[in-house]
Amino acid sequence: MRSEVIRLYRQVHSWTGILTGLILFVCFYAGAVTMFKEPLERWITPPAAVTPMALDGAEELIAATRALRPEVRDFTLALDPVLSGEAPLRLTWTEERIDPAPWAATLDPDGSVTVDRLDPAGIGLLVDVLHRTAGIPGDLDIGTMVTGIASALYVVALVSGVIVLLPSLVKDFLVLRVTANLKRMWLDAHNVLGIVSLPFHIVIALSAVVFGLHDQIYDALDEVVYDGRMRTVIAASSPFRGVRKDTGPATMLAPQAFLERVHALEPGFAPTSLEYHDAGTRAATVRVWGHDARYLVRREGFVLLGAIDGRVIDTEYMPGHQGPWSSTVSAFFALHFGSFGGEVVRWTYFLLGLAGALLFYTGNLLWIESRRRTERRAGGPVKQSRSTRLLAAGTVGVCLGCVGGLSSSIAAGKWLNGLVDDLHAWHWGIYYVAFLGACVWAFLRGAARAGVELLWASAAASAAIPATSLLGWLAPGLGLWASPGLIGVDLVALAGALALASMARLTARRAQAGPQDSVWATGASTVHPGRSAPSNRTEVRPIAAPQSMTSTTEV
Amino acid sequence: MTSRHSVERPRAAIRPDWWSKSCAGTLLGFTLAIALSGLFTWFGPGGPAAANKFQFTMWIVAPLWLGVVSFCFLFRSGLRAWLWLGGANLVAYALLLAGRGPLPH
Repeated sequence: MRSEVIRLYRQVHSWTGILTGLILFVCFYAGAVTMFKEPLERWITPPAAVTPMALDGAEELIAATRALRPEVRDFTLALDPVLSGEAPLRLTWTEERIDPAPWAATLDPDGSVTVDRLDPAGIGLLVDVLHRTAGIPGDLDIGTMVTGIASALYVVALVSGVIVLLPSLVKDFLVLRVTANLKRMWLDAHNVLGIVSLPFHIVIALSAVVFGLHDQIYDALDEVVYDGRMRTVIAASSPFRGVRKDTGPATMLAPQAFLERVHALEPGFAPTSLEYHDAGTRAATVRVWGHDARYLVRREGFVLLGAIDGRVIDTEYMPGHQGPWSSTVSAFFALHFGSFGGEVVRWTYFLLGLAGALLFYTGNLLWIESRRRTERRAGGPVKQSRSTRLLAAGTVGVCLGCVGGLSSSIAAGKWLNGLVDDLHAWHWGIYYVAFLGACVWAFLRGAARAGVELLWASAAASAAIPATSLLGWLAPGLGLWASPGLIGVDLVALAGALALASMARLTARRAQAGPQDSVWATGASTVHPGRSAPSNRTEVRPIAAPQSMTSTTEV
Repeated sequence: MTSRHSVERPRAAIRPDWWSKSCAGTLLGFTLAIALSGLFTWFGPGGPAAANKFQFTMWIVAPLWLGVVSFCFLFRSGLRAWLWLGGANLVAYALLLAGRGPLPH
């Protein structure tokens, strides 16, 4: 019975993994990068001479902008970049939900207001959308739904993977056997990665299902549970439920007054921006966004204040002042975003995201390797099946296309910034050209050759990031620049480039010296090799425990 | 694929029945998760109108649904999966529809 269950779930694991592995690779790789999208955004933006302006001018700016553009009633005043001198004091607003180029109003020294469309920078937006849609073009909702469905399968893959692993968990835990049996090594690596980061994966998978499919779930709940009246339930929970629409003009308090009000309410809350709604009317409100390191919050929390009288309207989204349901759901969000615990958690999530990408990559490798064994046992000439070859090529093309495409897009951003009109579109264009080019290349050349070549290409694309900064530092005449405060971006990219280069070398060695019946070998005429495994000539060398060939976890 | 004769052994083996079980788990698992979430909405702490509880009850659909999908392969056959999950759905929906009152306001 038990071995039968395991055999069954091994199949469940294989199928769910194969169906979703490549989508999840892109989501995880881009998701890891989203942890640092703000520094990346700043890395491609030329340092502008910002006249540090105290918040004192904010009231004047709002009044002048209201006079110039009375139809703009919803806008945001960012506090963080102003106080740190990174951006001028300005009001911003967007015309769409996700708009790469918001409008901005700034105050000139003579007291007049300039309204301008901001440069669409948006490498941060690209990384974010890539994370949410896996790069599926078209409407955001479609891509999000696809990744939502992939995440649902990913939950099933996690459960089935744990079931398969359980019997040998104690025996094989944290064992990495680097031996002649390459499949064994990949399996150990896959298991260690999976088990060590299991809590992270469960949290990410379940929350990603919700992010991707919440519309469908809400629709079903509305029909079945609320008898079509969910809207009233939602409206009754809305922070704005007590605010009556009233377009009569009224004078708003100064921004400082809101900050004082919030400080009095909760001294530990650090405001980052003020979001106005229906500004200048009697129903005007302001959401004071910010964070409080002591609590789990959705990226940021907010408190809703009346903009005319400064009264506290709602604290359901304010860290430490939420009701039990709201604070529980906020915790779910925080656990997905890694928006707690400061820099330690940020780096941990970055590394766990990369490890997750590696988990899906090794999963595909295992499938390929196990197919190969089946074929060998079947006897006859070892010719790799079409599915094995295609999956090998697809894995190489998609994974390295994503890695190389992102690096190219980031590096090119610094060169193109200021030269082109729509930098955001260029970012996407470069990403897609590199990504699709890598896929086509992988299928044309076969996984073995393309694996090596695309690894070198990805290493070069990643090395272009620090190289661009270095060039900007050595030859400022080129129009490039180096930002000393952002050397972390360059160092991480350099480390990535070195890692990719060493993988390229290992892959090339395996293609030459590895077993020639593998999809990863360049020698044989009908087969195609791959990468990043040490040569199988390696001595039998158990790292942490005696080698066990009787494990039940063989795929 | 399990061959016929193995099914007839005493303590019959688990038939894979991939398509049948997957569909049962995905469809009936989803409807069951919705109903269970609904039961929690109406009879769990706070009742249906507690502030922002609707978000929490939406979140719990995902683990309930995918839990059913994950474990539905343990049913001895696809038919059993449909019958058991169908029965669970009937019970859950009967309770929900019987106990669901009018929404406040």
